[in-house]
Amino acid sequence: MAEVTLSAPLRADGKEPNFLQRFGHGFVHGDIFTKLSFLVWGLGYIGHGQLIKAVLVTLVQGLGLYYLGVAGIPNLMKFGTLGTVQMEMVFNPATFKNEVNDYDNSFAILLLSIIALVVIVAMIAAAMAVVASNYNLQQIRKAGKKTNSFVQDVRVYLNEKFYVTLLTLPVLGVVIFTIVPLFILIAVAFTNYDQQHMPPNSLFTWVGLANFFTLFGGGQSLSLTFGYAFGKILIWTLVWAFFATFTNFFGGVFLAMFINDKKTKFPKLWRTLFVITIAVPQFVTLLLVRNFFGDNGIFNTMMSNLGVTDLLHNIGLLSPTMDYIPFLTSNGWAQVMIILINIWVGVPYQMLIATGVLMNIPADMLEAARIDGANPVQMFFRIKLPYLLSVQGPALVTDFVKNVNNFNVIYLLTQDVYVTADQSMAASSAKEVDLLVTWLFRLTQEQYNYKMAAVIGIMVFIICAVFTVVCFRFINKKEATFS
Amino acid sequence: MRKQLSLAMAAAMALSLAACGGTNSSAPADTSSTSAETSTGEAGTDASGEAANWGDVTLTMWGAEEDQTMLREMADAFIAENADKGNITINIGACSEADTKDEVLKDPTAAADVYAFADDQLNELVAAGALQEVTLNADDVKSRNLEGSVEAASLDGKLYAYPMTADNGYFLYYDKSVISEEDAQTVDGILAAAAEAGRTFDMTLNDGWYIYSFFAGAGLEATLADDGVNTVCNWNEEPGADVAQAVMDIAANSAFVSAPDADIVSGIKSGTVCAAVSGTWNAKVAQETWGDNYAATKLPTYTLDGEQVQMGSFAGYKLVGVNPHSQNVGVAMMLADYITNEANQQKRFEDRQLGPSNINVNASEAVQAAPAIAALAAQSEFSDLQRVGANYWDPAASLGQILQSGDTQGKTTQQLVDDAVAGITAPVAQ
Repeated sequence: MAEVTLSAPLRADGKEPNFLQRFGHGFVHGDIFTKLSFLVWGLGYIGHGQLIKAVLVTLVQGLGLYYLGVAGIPNLMKFGTLGTVQMEMVFNPATFKNEVNDYDNSFAILLLSIIALVVIVAMIAAAMAVVASNYNLQQIRKAGKKTNSFVQDVRVYLNEKFYVTLLTLPVLGVVIFTIVPLFILIAVAFTNYDQQHMPPNSLFTWVGLANFFTLFGGGQSLSLTFGYAFGKILIWTLVWAFFATFTNFFGGVFLAMFINDKKTKFPKLWRTLFVITIAVPQFVTLLLVRNFFGDNGIFNTMMSNLGVTDLLHNIGLLSPTMDYIPFLTSNGWAQVMIILINIWVGVPYQMLIATGVLMNIPADMLEAARIDGANPVQMFFRIKLPYLLSVQGPALVTDFVKNVNNFNVIYLLTQDVYVTADQSMAASSAKEVDLLVTWLFRLTQEQYNYKMAAVIGIMVFIICAVFTVVCFRFINKKEATFS
Repeated sequence: MRKQLSLAMAAAMALSLAACGGTNSSAPADTSSTSAETSTGEAGTDASGEAANWGDVTLTMWGAEEDQTMLREMADAFIAENADKGNITINIGACSEADTKDEVLKDPTAAADVYAFADDQLNELVAAGALQEVTLNADDVKSRNLEGSVEAASLDGKLYAYPMTADNGYFLYYDKSVISEEDAQTVDGILAAAAEAGRTFDMTLNDGWYIYSFFAGAGLEATLADDGVNTVCNWNEEPGADVAQAVMDIAANSAFVSAPDADIVSGIKSGTVCAAVSGTWNAKVAQETWGDNYAATKLPTYTLDGEQVQMGSFAGYKLVGVNPHSQNVGVAMMLADYITNEANQQKRFEDRQLGPSNINVNASEAVQAAPAIAALAAQSEFSDLQRVGANYWDPAASLGQILQSGDTQGKTTQQLVDDAVAGITAPVAQ
């Protein structure tokens, strides 16, 4: 696509015409080749003397149409019902094989239909771009100039428009690996895809908003306690994300400051020691820690030998029937422990980042403050902390979102260990220590309840999106005032 | 079932991340081409050919990590025996029998052709269409295995799997130097003897699998509804509330410890535990630690309203199933049949001390002399097949957790069982 050189300005206000306007203008004012190129992309380029390009675009169009013809359209026809023919299998003793009828696979239909929709949208957009580009060529020829040869075109994409070449693959990747799965996830939330409706053996179909009603306490089945469990888990998720983010942040900052302090001996040794903990895979650490803090684990034995268990009995923190401290097995204790263990696991990362940021604070600023008689506390709150926050604000928001979805720590520390005593939670296979994601994982992994998992997934997405947007707006304002 | 997993906690966790898929690297082909080809084309062409001519056959088989070497030997023997019928290749992958369902149901079309699993997963596997009805040699399979194991492998009168072992239940094992044979008959006796010796009697209460035994013993039931998905449960009827009270009384005894599997094992090793309710997977540790003092027997009776009630249990079997999506269902059935036949069950017992479901092997002297297997046999008349829906586990575990802690949250025992039953019987999905 060469530059746009329109004979008459398209817009009265003199701005660059947008994509739709260029297409509309090109389609209306174009010659026969330009018009035809909307249907057969190659025709326009043939008419305008760009043969290789014509072959290439026709090939792409052919591939798209081939997909639509072979898989896209047939599946789109079933998209409304997601299939009607159930699988039936008969064993044939003569051939030693199973004979299967021509059945519908709801999931395949959903998947291929969504891909087909994406392909259709992409092809329409591409057709419009082709028309606009052909109109462009037509104008160039009309002005008596020569259009680019193929080699010249390639050169343009390697030089002036190199960004287009560079971005093509990532964009394709995002579409294939992010956008299509996202659409499928969203679609599943409106179906009854669960254990009773598992392809390829059974079909699933659209159920509208029923799953969302179920989540918020309406509907049937999971109903009452599901909404209850969702509320409790949501609150704990937010509490956890808040504490996990800020304890790690401040823990890391203080650690970095202690290590970087001039009075600290061997700072490199300490830093290395903390970094080593990063090198150990997280799940190994977490599983070991889980065993340390088990009801009959090593830590409990130590506590009991030291008399701490008795002390807790005496001050009433522990019920007299318990001869151990339920670090990871009781509501309340477990939440605090998880946050504490997370500090241990997460602080080294934050320490590294904070070290870098703190080193970047202009030394003269701190020097000036010291001469003015500021004490270390004042220097921390007036200079270092605001500086850290302004640099790390966006990272903190990302950390928060990451913690909302922090599967590893929660799942590895509580799976097979924590049993809820809240019967309403248990009725929804939830635990007090579950995050939305771990709950979602167990709902899908253990109960194959994909539809509810998709609904919760959408909810998590909305929560994270809203939080991020609000925070970034806030940060942007802050940043303006700081610097 | 689920408890077996916690036996090898760290290892299992590490494995479940890589899961069963990891090991069977050599099965990319069976993913794509199950349906269309088999349906029309091959049926016509092969109809004239004998079933005896198998051609090139590649099968994938999943079994427990510990069984890998033994399975390889069995597979090689199968290949050698059928060398005249076709060119067979068998790949073996590791998948704990307790997790098979999770792995298979991720995508039945991509799962192994032949896989071992615990019998409680049968319903869900059948419901998902991941088990082939046994159509070859079914009568022989039924007649050569214990009645209970055949029942465990059947649903609605159809046989869906090949019984492999009959030792997946739980029973009592104890240290004879502390607990006499007479003491071992009652929970009270065990607790009194254990208290005297300053040791403990361990059992996992906060787990649906074990807590079942108290309620089942009192004649209450938790079983699968007719739809095959939901659970029917009457624990809130008479005498459910009293059972809950009885369990709380036991849990409150200072000689009783409710501990997960891993803690029972470490307790036995360190000598604090003198009796435990668990399965064969921990029996070996007990046998090694207690030596000649090791004894195993049926579960004891417990005191309910002043009377002694025999504890019930879940009977457990391990089965071998065939994936109907396999491209070579027939040969896969032959293989499943082969690895569960009399000779190979004998081999299983000899190599891995797994309790056979085969009638002849089970009746052999060597098998009957194994204490764990004898104990399971004695318990079998008080045990039920494990047939519960997905919503059973969490509410039952939660009930166990409350009873073990003794903190009833201000509810009466009747309210506790009411709430548990409400959760257990809640429909699984719409």
